[in-house]
Amino acid sequence: MERAYAQAVLAMVENGKTPHEAVAALRKTLEIRGRLALLPRIGKAFERLVAKEAKKNTCTLTIARQKDAQKAVKEVEQVLAELKIGDTDLCETVDESLIGGWRLEGQGMLVDQSWKKALLNMYTRATS
Amino acid sequence: MAVQSSVVDKIIKEIEGYAPGWQSEHVGVVTAVGDGVVAIDGLGKAVMSELVEFEETKGKHLSDSMQTRGKLYGLVLNLEEDSVRATILGDSARVSEGMTVKSTGQILSVPSGEELLGRVVNALGEPLDDKEPFKNPTMMTIERQAAGVIDRKSVSVPLQTGVLSIDAMIPIGRGQRELIIGDRGTGKTTIAIDTIINQRNEPEEKRPVCVYVAIGQKESKTARIVEQLRKEGAFSYTIIVDAPASAPAALQFLAPFSGAAIGEYFMDRGRDVLVIYDDLSKQAVAYRQLSLLLRRPPGREAYPGDIFYLHSRLLERACRLSDEKGGGSLTALPIIETQDGDVSGYIPTNVISITDGQIFLVADLFNKGVRPAIDVGISVSRVGSSAQTKAMKSVAGGIKLGLAQFRDLEAFMQFAQDLDKATADQIAAGQRMVEVLKQKNGAPFPVEDQVVILTAANAKFFNNVPTAKVTATAGMFAQYMKDNHGQALAEIREKGVVSDDIKKTLGKGMEEFRLAHPELFTENV
Repeated sequence: MERAYAQAVLAMVENGKTPHEAVAALRKTLEIRGRLALLPRIGKAFERLVAKEAKKNTCTLTIARQKDAQKAVKEVEQVLAELKIGDTDLCETVDESLIGGWRLEGQGMLVDQSWKKALLNMYTRATS
Repeated sequence: MAVQSSVVDKIIKEIEGYAPGWQSEHVGVVTAVGDGVVAIDGLGKAVMSELVEFEETKGKHLSDSMQTRGKLYGLVLNLEEDSVRATILGDSARVSEGMTVKSTGQILSVPSGEELLGRVVNALGEPLDDKEPFKNPTMMTIERQAAGVIDRKSVSVPLQTGVLSIDAMIPIGRGQRELIIGDRGTGKTTIAIDTIINQRNEPEEKRPVCVYVAIGQKESKTARIVEQLRKEGAFSYTIIVDAPASAPAALQFLAPFSGAAIGEYFMDRGRDVLVIYDDLSKQAVAYRQLSLLLRRPPGREAYPGDIFYLHSRLLERACRLSDEKGGGSLTALPIIETQDGDVSGYIPTNVISITDGQIFLVADLFNKGVRPAIDVGISVSRVGSSAQTKAMKSVAGGIKLGLAQFRDLEAFMQFAQDLDKATADQIAAGQRMVEVLKQKNGAPFPVEDQVVILTAANAKFFNNVPTAKVTATAGMFAQYMKDNHGQALAEIREKGVVSDDIKKTLGKGMEEFRLAHPELFTENV
C-alpha cells in the first residue's frame, strides 16, 4: 500500500510538481481517505524507492587490490560495451577475498572474473 | 594416497583446461527473508517454478567458501512487478539480506531411474540413506502436463491390493486414482503398505514399481515402514520419498510432485507404477503455510484459491498410457486424514471429487475389531468390475449387497430371540462374511487365495464354524488349498478364471478340509 503511494509521489515529481506540492497533495488525499497514519511508512517506502532509482544506473566493480583498478576498469568497459550497457556509473570497492581479478554487479547482471570463483569452480569439479 | 593423486590429476587437468573468458549471469538481491520465504529484488527475467541459486561465497575467503555445504537453491513461486518471492529449498538460516541470487534458467527436477529402487530420498531426490550418491540418474521435471485424452487408454488391468474387501468390492485398476480416507489411526497407511507388500506376488515383469511419499509424517513412522518393507522383501521395488514433519513447508509441498515425477520415469518406459501420497491433507496445510507467507490472498479455511488445482494437477498425472505411448501406467493412492469422521471438509471434498473412487475407513468399525475398517457401504471404485479378473468377478458379485443388507438388519440383533429364521440366517451369514473379510496387518492375500476364500464363503462353507473362528479358518483353508491343490490355485492366478474343473477341485478341497478339521465345524445351523 505505502509503496503505491510512494510511487505516486515520485511520479508527480517526475511530471513537474515540486516536492512540496506533491507531498501536500498526498497529505490531502490521505486526510480525505482517513489514512494519515500511513504517512511515516510512505516516507520510508519513498526513501527506499529513491535509493533504488539512484542505483538503477550504477554497477559495482569489486577488485581484490586497489592497484588492479585501472586494468579492471578497462576490461569492464569492454564487457559493458559487448553487453550494450551504456550510461553506467561505476562504483569501485575493494574485497581482498577475491584474491585477484574483478567482479561486476548491477543492473540485474553479474560478471564474476575473480580468481576466487575460478579456483572454487576448479575445486568443485575436482572433488565431485 | 591413490585418491589424493586422482584429485591432483583432476586439478592439473582443470588448470590445463582453464580458458579465461567472461559470462554474464542474471541476478537479483535478497531484500527480505523470513519463515523460509525470500523477497528478491530484480530477477526480472525469472520464470515461475525456476530454480535460483543463493550466492553464499560473496565476501567470504576462499577457505571458508570451500567449507560451504553444497549449493543452496530457492524456488520461484511469486512473480511480482519488480521483484520475485521464492521459497528456500534448504536451511533458511544460510540466507541473509543483501545476498546475491542467481537465476539458473532451470525448472526444478528430481533424479529418477533404476538406481533409486530400494532407496530413501528427500523431496529434491537427494539420498537420505547412507548409501552412495546416484551415478547416472535421469532428471525429471517435477511439474509436468498430464497425459492428454488421446495418449490414454481405459483402465482395465487390476492392481491387486491383497486386501480382500478392496479387491472383491472396491477393485482398483492400474492407472486409477483411489482415495483412502479416514480419521487418524484407522489403518489408512496399513492398507497402502499392504498394497506395496502384495506386489511381491506379481510376476517380476508385471510388478509395479512402488513409490511411497511420506508427507509431514514422523520420521520414526517412515523408518518403521522402511523396515517393514525390507523385512517383507518389498523394498527392492519401492522408492520412499520422505518429507517429514520437521522438513520445511516447501519440501512437504513439493514431495508429492517429486514422487509423481520419479514414477513417471518408469511409466514412460512402459512400466506400471503405484504412487502413494501419505497424506495430501498435510501437503495442503504446508501449501497453505507457504501461500500465506508468500502473501497470496487466503480463501476458505485460509487455503489459497488454487488449492484444488494443486491436487487436481497432481492426481491427473495418474493414468494408463496408450500402447503407442508404451502402455505404462501410474496408479495414485492419495490418503486424506479426516477430523472426527467429517468427510465434508474442504480438502476431503476436493480430493473426493478429483479421484476415481474412495475407500472410507471408519473409527467405529476399527474399534469393534473390524480391520481393515472399511465401510463398504459408502466406499466406491468408479472403475468397477472392469478392473477385476473374471475369477474375482464370479465370486465377488453379491458380497456388497449382502453386507449392505446385513448392516440394515444389524440393529435387530439385540432382539435375536424374536427373529424369524430367514432374518436370523441372514444376520449369521453377514456376521460370518464380516469375519471372512477381516485381515491381519501386513498379511495381504494373493488373488488366488482371495478367490478360494470367497468361493468357500459363497458356498456357506463357514456356516458351521463359530463366528469367532471364521477369520482363522478362512486363512487355514487358503493355506490348505495352497499346500494340497496348488495346481488349481496357480491356474486361477495365471488364467484369471474359475473353470468347471477348478470349481470341482475347490468343492473337493472344502470337503477334505472339513474332514481334516472337524474341530472347527462345531456349530449346527
